[in-house]
Amino acid sequence: MKNHISIRNVNAFYGEHQALKDITVGIPEKQITAIIGPSGCGKSTLLKCFNRLIDLTDGARVSGKIIVDGMDVLDGSIDVTEVRRRMGLLPQKPNPLPMSIYDNVAYGPRLHGTADKKKLDQTVEKYLKIAGLWEEVKDRLKSPANKLSIGQQQRLCLARGLAVEPEIILCDEPTSALDPVSSQHIEQQLLKLKNDYTIVIVTHNIHQAIRLADYVIHLYLGELVEHGTANEVFENPKEERTRAYINGTLVTDMKTDSEVNLKGNVCPFNFVYAKQALHTLEKGKILKLIVDDPTAVIEVPRGMEADGHEVLSVKQVNKTDWEIMIRKNE
Amino acid sequence: MDKRFEEKLFKVLMLASLAAVLGSLFMVIAVIIWNGAPALTFSMITQTPKGGYYMGKEGGILNAIVGSLYLAFGSMILALIISLPAALSLQKDYIGKTKAAYYIRLSLDVLWGTPSIVYGAFGFIVMLYLGMRASLLGGIIVLTFLQLPIMIRSMEEVIKMVPSELKEASYTLGATRFETTTGVVVRQALPGIVTAVLLAFGRGIGDAASILFTAGYTDSLPHSILDPVASLPLAVFFQLGTPFPEVQARAYASALILLLIVLALSITSRALSKRFMKNIIR
Ligand SMILES: Nc1ncnc2c1ncn2[C@@H]1O[C@H](COP(=O)(O)OP(=O)(O)OP(=O)(O)O)[C@@H](O)[C@H]1O
Ligand SMILES: [Mg+2]
Repeated sequence: MKNHISIRNVNAFYGEHQALKDITVGIPEKQITAIIGPSGCGKSTLLKCFNRLIDLTDGARVSGKIIVDGMDVLDGSIDVTEVRRRMGLLPQKPNPLPMSIYDNVAYGPRLHGTADKKKLDQTVEKYLKIAGLWEEVKDRLKSPANKLSIGQQQRLCLARGLAVEPEIILCDEPTSALDPVSSQHIEQQLLKLKNDYTIVIVTHNIHQAIRLADYVIHLYLGELVEHGTANEVFENPKEERTRAYINGTLVTDMKTDSEVNLKGNVCPFNFVYAKQALHTLEKGKILKLIVDDPTAVIEVPRGMEADGHEVLSVKQVNKTDWEIMIRKNE
Repeated sequence: MDKRFEEKLFKVLMLASLAAVLGSLFMVIAVIIWNGAPALTFSMITQTPKGGYYMGKEGGILNAIVGSLYLAFGSMILALIISLPAALSLQKDYIGKTKAAYYIRLSLDVLWGTPSIVYGAFGFIVMLYLGMRASLLGGIIVLTFLQLPIMIRSMEEVIKMVPSELKEASYTLGATRFETTTGVVVRQALPGIVTAVLLAFGRGIGDAASILFTAGYTDSLPHSILDPVASLPLAVFFQLGTPFPEVQARAYASALILLLIVLALSITSRALSKRFMKNIIR
């Protein structure tokens, strides 16, 4: 497996805050690599280093090397526009340009010297087809891009990015603003595109990562926790933190059978209420507890495990509240 | 206090201020129309004055209409040519974050508030020094200076509102700063830019003090850019200053013409804006 992007000892800072800590990892060619990790762990920052979009952020500094096709992207003397042309970016929220559908797709090719009308027409049609949008817009190419639905706009952004003929497609949570059908649409396009492109996708959605990824990189608080093929990482993670993250996210997406809010209760009462709630459940069902007492966060899971139940995850959901997921056993 | 009462009070206050604004505006317009409309004959807009400096109660104010249009459009175009690049360079992608930009903004704000007679006096001194007569050119240049702070600052405000995601989209496609600015920023900000130009035009066409010494006044039409020109604001000023009611009525008619020109331009620019609006990303 050949690496398309080699990241070596990359550190990134926003002012004093270090967002990436000594990351060294390779991204395989013509595969889909998913970057997973909790919010704020530096996923977007890493993507922005690839195409040097981070240069636009005030006070951001990056060190280390990112080698793409033998060229160090982070080298100050290289032509940034050329680096960016080689990497399409699909953003979290679709950002069509203030012009027509046609002009959105033609924008990149025009920048890079295609002026011939016929050639532009062909390019626009080709990439709108690849992005799966052609049929829906072929009769209104001249109408403003902002009139499209959000899902259509995202596919337009995909077509626009592909039209500059990049080798790499970067996606930062590309479906998080979309409805399920549009999300599925984008996922399908990405799966088709991986034959020709190296794709890097940042996602919060573990299920999406499982569906799409060939290779997985797990970041946590700016550090590289684990990386490997999707099989290795999802089936048999080497790191406990990866396992916890995967399970934790899977559990929150899981249907809970019962939920008990124990906010405002102190030990040992929340302990007792949790026991009662579990008592009424059938075996194998999942109970979600919400607590805000710091002692309960430690003692309740411990006590429930002692009773033979399985604690699936303990997660802080906001400043004061914690979410504990328990599966009933015995 | 009772929430409902608070809400009501607020609503009343809002309506009252709205009424004050609309009411005074309406009154100004009503007075102008009431006094000016009867004197607004066809010859007013097709003839130059007879009997010297508008005093003759005969002829028209064609010289002032033509002069004002030359002055206002000339200075508007000149100011636009200077303002757009200036406002664009104040983006944070260029010099926007520097100390220099801070001082540029500060001086523009001060200049915005400077009375126009100061511009006029300054222009007059410079022209004396250069040995220039009061002329269309002099008037255009001074009006340009008068409009620059308004145009640059209000353009900068709308350019600042262009979402950074749009610029990022352009950059990720391999665009340079210049390509992003001309291809995306200007397009997105275009309706606002039109408004900024209109705002400055309004100040330019209505100002009397700055052109009193620099553009001069005359009864004839200008034949060259170095001839003195008449203008509507000064026509209003002179005619209103006479003791004759007939001439005073002609002042109101001149004011009415000024109003109609501004109205026509507002409507055109609004229609233009609307066309540019349709592609805007909100
Ligand atoms: N412009 C900025 N200025 C200062 N700090 C920033 C900036 N952008 C990001 N950070 C910080 O850097 C860290 C990493 O941010 P980043 O956006 O890369 O996280 P992320 O993994 O993409 O999170 P999310 O999943 O929420 O998008 C966070 O702690 C964030 O607060
Ligand atoms: Mg992010």
